[in-house]
Amino acid sequence: MSSNQVKPPAHGFSTTTARAGAADHDEGQPELGTIGELGAAAIDLLIGGRELYSVFVRTLYYTFNGRREKGVVARQMYEIGNKSLFFLCTTMGFIGMILVYQAGLQAKRVVPDFTMLGAIYLELLVRDFAASIGALMLATRVGAGIAAEIGSMVVTEQVDALRMCAADPIDFLIVPRFLASMLMTLCLIVFAGTVAFVSGAITANIAYEVPYQTFFSMQMIDVGDVSIGLAKCLAYGAAIPVVSGYCGLSTFGGSEGVGWATTRAVVNTSLAIIILNFFISGAGFLIFPG
Amino acid sequence: MAAAPTTTTPKSEPGAFTTFFGAVGAGFLGAAQTAGGMTILFAKCVARIATFRIDGGELWKNLYKMAVKSLPIVAVTALFTGAIMVIQAATIVKRYGAEGLLGWGAGFGTLREIAPLLTALMISGRVGANNTAEIGTMVVTEQLDALRVLAIDPIGFLVAPRFIAIVSTLFMMTLFADALALFGAAYTGQALLGVSPVTFYNGVTGGLLGFGDVANGLFKSIVYGLLMALASCHFGLATTGGAPGVGRAVNATVVTSAAGVFVLDYLVSFASG
Repeated sequence: MSSNQVKPPAHGFSTTTARAGAADHDEGQPELGTIGELGAAAIDLLIGGRELYSVFVRTLYYTFNGRREKGVVARQMYEIGNKSLFFLCTTMGFIGMILVYQAGLQAKRVVPDFTMLGAIYLELLVRDFAASIGALMLATRVGAGIAAEIGSMVVTEQVDALRMCAADPIDFLIVPRFLASMLMTLCLIVFAGTVAFVSGAITANIAYEVPYQTFFSMQMIDVGDVSIGLAKCLAYGAAIPVVSGYCGLSTFGGSEGVGWATTRAVVNTSLAIIILNFFISGAGFLIFPG
Repeated sequence: MAAAPTTTTPKSEPGAFTTFFGAVGAGFLGAAQTAGGMTILFAKCVARIATFRIDGGELWKNLYKMAVKSLPIVAVTALFTGAIMVIQAATIVKRYGAEGLLGWGAGFGTLREIAPLLTALMISGRVGANNTAEIGTMVVTEQLDALRVLAIDPIGFLVAPRFIAIVSTLFMMTLFADALALFGAAYTGQALLGVSPVTFYNGVTGGLLGFGDVANGLFKSIVYGLLMALASCHFGLATTGGAPGVGRAVNATVVTSAAGVFVLDYLVSFASG
């Protein structure tokens, strides 16, 4: 069974998209039954997970031991950070307005008391929404860009050229993005979270006449909330370039493959963020219970 | 005055002021062009659908490729989303000892906002981007011109079936995600807070949540589906510049869908209040 799986050398992880793409190329494969499909999916997932782990470990290794040109990280910081700022602020501004408006509707039905609205909203924003929704946005904007860039380098054999020059593509391509993304995700999310909070405050003031003094309340924020939020920022910042870089490096099948790689990067990065969110939130709840 | 040209900038290079406003203007023109293109595409699609000039085989193929193949991703996302909603509500529930309200709190957020939103974002990455890449590749390799040469209408053959497929995929996936997210939330509540699933489901169904909340989420999913279908088909058809152009088109689709989903979410929430 495993001999069927080696057709594209380094795919896997997102089983459905990669296999749908592969299915067009080789028609000689025997038809798999339901159990066979499940097994194939499981094997794909296992191979993908192992390769993703290998990319992550090598990224960490080269972060400390690699050689780097000057200015590469700064250029990536500009690409990832400055160019996403407008997009992130727009989306987070709107999500801030929606969340407060919906929370107000909810509060109106049960207890018409808006004094705690701002405090609870800020707590949820710091704990979860700023980091998670911001990172989902970054995953689409930045992850797709990274995968498309690295994917087209793979397809045009520039990555093989790098290997010929004894430069590890991970050191050369992923590590600068990894460092830049960790730093810029933190900055962007803090900024975008502020935008979401302010837009929420304005909405609350207009829709429910909550005064700004009441809304800007820090009474619910404690060490637990801030540390969970920061841990999420760092984890997502690390996950975006690693997962989408892996998707880019495992591109196959010419220019069409770059499209598939981009799609897989967006989906897998979003999935990684949701799964990381679950584990970090769960751990955070157990370490800092209310 | 004769020496002045050495100190002033040459006339051919515009100053920072002009460059800035030129860029802003170009941005607005680009946005207007995109919006106009999408509207025309929408009108064309509606015309084909109203007169049944769409390819049935393509429609079934796309429904299978988009809906059935997206099921695993949507299932995982929905289960984790429900769990996360409960974890976030847990601190507040514990503080006020309001276990009976957990189902209502998590259900309200999930049904109205989070399930449609996250499903739309995942489907936009999985289906929207894919659709653009496919149509874009066909445009770049001149397969669309070949279709026209064979007197096959590209809108009826390619775009309208995908349009229907994306909209109905998102609608069905949102229904599916609603159910699975509540399921995930119920069992997370039991594991984390000791709230039994029966209490949770009673909180969901009892009084405070009505059919209106579910319908609100489902209505949103249709609006997002329309946006994603139009954006992905439009950017696919507008692809220029070979293989790198396909990458740019995919990126434009993903960014437009994500930003548009949030803007529409706000407008729909506000309008339906």
